Amino acid sequence: MARKDLRSEWRGRELLPALATFVVLALLIANFAFDLNGASVPRLAPGILWLVLVFVGLVAFGRSFAGEKDRGSLEAMLLTPAPAGALFAGKAAAAGLVLLATEAVLLLGMALFFGAPLSAAIVAISVAASLGIAALGSLFAALAAQTRAKELLLPVLVLPLWLPFVVLGGRALQEAFAGQAVSPEPSLLLLDLGVLFWIAAVLAARFVLDD
Amino acid sequence: MTEHRLPYVLTAAGVVALLGALAMVFLYAPQDAVQGPVQRIFYLHVSAAIAGFACFAIVVVASATHLVRPGAASDRLAHAAAQVGLVMLTVNISMGIVWAKPIWGWDPSQTWDARFTTTVVLWLIYAGYLLVRKFASPGWQASRLAAVVGIFGFIDVPIVYFSVQWWRTLHPSLRAGNGQPALPFAMLLTFGVTVVATLILTAALVSIRYSIEQQAEEQEGRATNASLELAR
Repeated sequence: MARKDLRSEWRGRELLPALATFVVLALLIANFAFDLNGASVPRLAPGILWLVLVFVGLVAFGRSFAGEKDRGSLEAMLLTPAPAGALFAGKAAAAGLVLLATEAVLLLGMALFFGAPLSAAIVAISVAASLGIAALGSLFAALAAQTRAKELLLPVLVLPLWLPFVVLGGRALQEAFAGQAVSPEPSLLLLDLGVLFWIAAVLAARFVLDD
Repeated sequence: MTEHRLPYVLTAAGVVALLGALAMVFLYAPQDAVQGPVQRIFYLHVSAAIAGFACFAIVVVASATHLVRPGAASDRLAHAAAQVGLVMLTVNISMGIVWAKPIWGWDPSQTWDARFTTTVVLWLIYAGYLLVRKFASPGWQASRLAAVVGIFGFIDVPIVYFSVQWWRTLHPSLRAGNGQPALPFAMLLTFGVTVVATLILTAALVSIRYSIEQQAEEQEGRATNASLELAR
């Protein structure tokens, strides 16, 4: 399932270039909105990173299920003997990988444009946070795609639940960008939460995808 | 017939209990030495939060029951409890703001208090729950999608509860450092009575909402039957 989504993304090359452009544009806007300079970058960079990441996530996860719903292929997939949980896990994994790819663009862009530091800790924290973000994002994207409101409902539902990741990750990134030693606890907690939400989301998928 | 009388009984009991609680809050409970009369907000403020949490706990249990064994009753209960919980949380938040103004010199831009923030998030989650019900096609779809949101949303309740311990916050703890209650007995008694009164009122509201949902569904069913008759 994940392979199919990634292949169709690779063939279509729709989402990733659009998201990458979105990331660069968001960074440009942040630059003008905050009037960034060398002194303010360490303080503002984590905030900008999370804002951009959250909004990119909304687009990426929204697309992943809205497309299937529009084409009516979701029903077709549900007719196959594969369990709904497995279908969901595959789609969520693919959407998560797209998010990770966008994150790479984001981190590189921040390093290039803002001179923000790029360290293993920063990458580790954002990857750890993406795990849970992907699970919850995909679950609620699948849910929102079935309602009349569609895209409108996804941010309302998922943003409050993403907050713990932003709080934990934001605190950790603040340290990392300031060049302080980063304790591994926040990242481990993010990983734990991520695994927990993956299990919960896969279990709940049966009820969300059921038609 | 007893089922139809339940909302009335609960409402009457709730009104009496709440009047008693208010009398205790204003006449019996001693004046706070530091904060003065404003502190009397505490009783209903915290009771409303507890009632809200209780409602959301009902949402979780009813939603889980509905997913495992679909039925109209559990779905109706979850819907009613979510609505009442949202009202209770609104009471809690607005009273908190009124209290915070003179005590903390409340300025939201400076004191994004952890417990306040997480409570607002909880409010938003269950507002989203009601939106799902509105935007999903009624019936099995609305009920199961909302149930998933209702269950996942409850994650925020323990976060609100423990927020005072996890982050620096201006919210006081109900226990003093040595594990003893931080309040004198008269205040604790008043608090306890207010909690019970608020919970009875909450149960009354949930039962009223429940019967309204039930009647609306019956009405809808009758309307559908009527239109089917006409079509024939």
